[in-house]
Amino acid sequence: MGIEQLDHTADVLIRVSGDTLDDLFEEAARAMFQVIFPAHPAEPHDRRETAARVHTFTTESDDIDSLLHDYLSELLFISDAEGVVFSRFSVKVRDTSLVCTAEGEPFDPEKHGGGMEIKGISYSGLHIIKKHGAHVVDILFDV
Amino acid sequence: MLKGITRIGECEWEVPIGYVPDMRVPGRFFLSDELAPSLEEGAVRQLAHVATMPGIVKYSLAMPDIHWGYGFPIGGVAAFDMETGVISPGGVGFDINCGVRLMTTPLTADEIASNKREVIEAVFRAVPTGVGSRSSVTISSGELDRMMVKGAAWAVEHGFGLEADLACCEEQGCMQQADTAAVSGKAKTRGMPQLGTLGSGNHFLEFQVVAEVYDEAAAAAFGVEVGQVCIMIHCGSRGLGHQVCTDHLKVLEQAARRYQIQLPDRQLACAPLTSPEGEAYFKGMACAANYAWANRQMIMHSTRKVMEKMYDIDYEDMPLVYDVAHNVAKREEHMVDGRRRQLCVHRKGATRAFGPDCHDVPERYSGVGQPVIIPGSMGTSSYLLHGTETAMVRTFGSTCHGAGRVLSRTKAKKMMRGQDVRARLLKRGIYVRAHHDSAIAEEAPESYKPSDEVVNVVNAVGISRPVARLEPLGVIKG
Repeated sequence: MGIEQLDHTADVLIRVSGDTLDDLFEEAARAMFQVIFPAHPAEPHDRRETAARVHTFTTESDDIDSLLHDYLSELLFISDAEGVVFSRFSVKVRDTSLVCTAEGEPFDPEKHGGGMEIKGISYSGLHIIKKHGAHVVDILFDV
Repeated sequence: MLKGITRIGECEWEVPIGYVPDMRVPGRFFLSDELAPSLEEGAVRQLAHVATMPGIVKYSLAMPDIHWGYGFPIGGVAAFDMETGVISPGGVGFDINCGVRLMTTPLTADEIASNKREVIEAVFRAVPTGVGSRSSVTISSGELDRMMVKGAAWAVEHGFGLEADLACCEEQGCMQQADTAAVSGKAKTRGMPQLGTLGSGNHFLEFQVVAEVYDEAAAAAFGVEVGQVCIMIHCGSRGLGHQVCTDHLKVLEQAARRYQIQLPDRQLACAPLTSPEGEAYFKGMACAANYAWANRQMIMHSTRKVMEKMYDIDYEDMPLVYDVAHNVAKREEHMVDGRRRQLCVHRKGATRAFGPDCHDVPERYSGVGQPVIIPGSMGTSSYLLHGTETAMVRTFGSTCHGAGRVLSRTKAKKMMRGQDVRARLLKRGIYVRAHHDSAIAEEAPESYKPSDEVVNVVNAVGISRPVARLEPLGVIKG
């Protein structure tokens, strides 16, 4: 599992990998929220106390790449609309649908400021591949 | 220069059909020898990809601030035939009607020198900025709907500006095609609490001084003179526009497959302009564009109120020079090979630059041309230009939109610390205010192409002419 920031002149391009699709999707969400709230790094699921805000949602799409796009877009929407800083994610992917439980805390400008809003997740180059037994994808975030 | 590209003029290059498969027209872009080394192969490939889209007319174009984006390159301009062409969110971007406005003040740089810091701090308090910022104005969902239909006029009707401001906005600050039925509940939920907020990233509010005038007559028409303090505002349609793009991108991605449109990049998802999906995107995009005009109008209002109080000057003595969109698709009429044609012109990181006698150029600027506002980066010059007849002939009335990045945000942060950049700019008399220093490092002057050279190219090609140069005095970073 990993998050690696690649070079992109205008926007933010991140390579995410995971042993399973569930891992990959959780890692992608962590990567996204680290861009928006760098002062409050998202952590793996089992490291924090129970968070104050929990959202569970399902997403269904035409294919696995679109599923990743739609799932990240949904997290972005909830975070922006509800003012939540998500830091823990649990995802179960089944074919081209998923269930996600995201945990976080209310946005606090003092604690969570200093990052960059993500305007959207681009379809450009968004294609999950298998490499050395892991799932890998490059995600381009418009900032 | 990159392989496979042909020079066809001093500052003009052609990407021939065949550079990527299925191109319908050639690509053309404008670049000087000085800017050529910064050209990315990825940007040229994106320019060529746009040329494969159905109904594209004449050329896939890019301005001298061309760089690698997603879907269209940034700096990209493409016109599509209204009958046979397509519309694509990839040619507009997530931040629909991200744009710039410039207002003047009756003050000189000397008159604000003693309390520049105070005035910038006061504006910083008045205009919510940065990640998660929320509006001080509460509106109902019915009001939001009316605002998305009326644009800047809604803001003026609610006391956030002057009637005269409207004439000085592109489209008078309102795209008539707006239909709120094409905007999802999610988009409205995001838009409601963010009205009048600046946002983050490269958005800013900058105090500037007119340092040099190149065209006295045009400067007089625009109401600017050397030594005068002006204020430039750069932002867009906030979460509402981002959500409109996300929602319709998904629909158009599926529609493109249904209409059997072969695309080299999924971000170029599109549908025929005459299709229900294409029309719905256009109507939703127009709503977001109108939100952005209202947003910039409200930010300007808050700024004027601070200036009014602090310097005892009249609100009316701070007129808007102009407001331009640089991420939008518009229905426009253009002469193509001697024939009048109805087109949908996409400008992604490009500015409309209509010539002196064109429709939609304010009456007070007729004979000069539409004002074009080109922001620099934090420490570099910004420019006021005017549109030209040459732009009408060569670029569907378009020009560049800014300096264009050369350094990624990651590299910029590795190379520079925000506090050092802030200190360095302060030594030059430029006061920078942001919630956090990291935002300053990312937007450091070194991250951008020199704005002077980008302007030199559009001037050399003749697609716009410089009127005045503005230098930064202080900046609020989003």
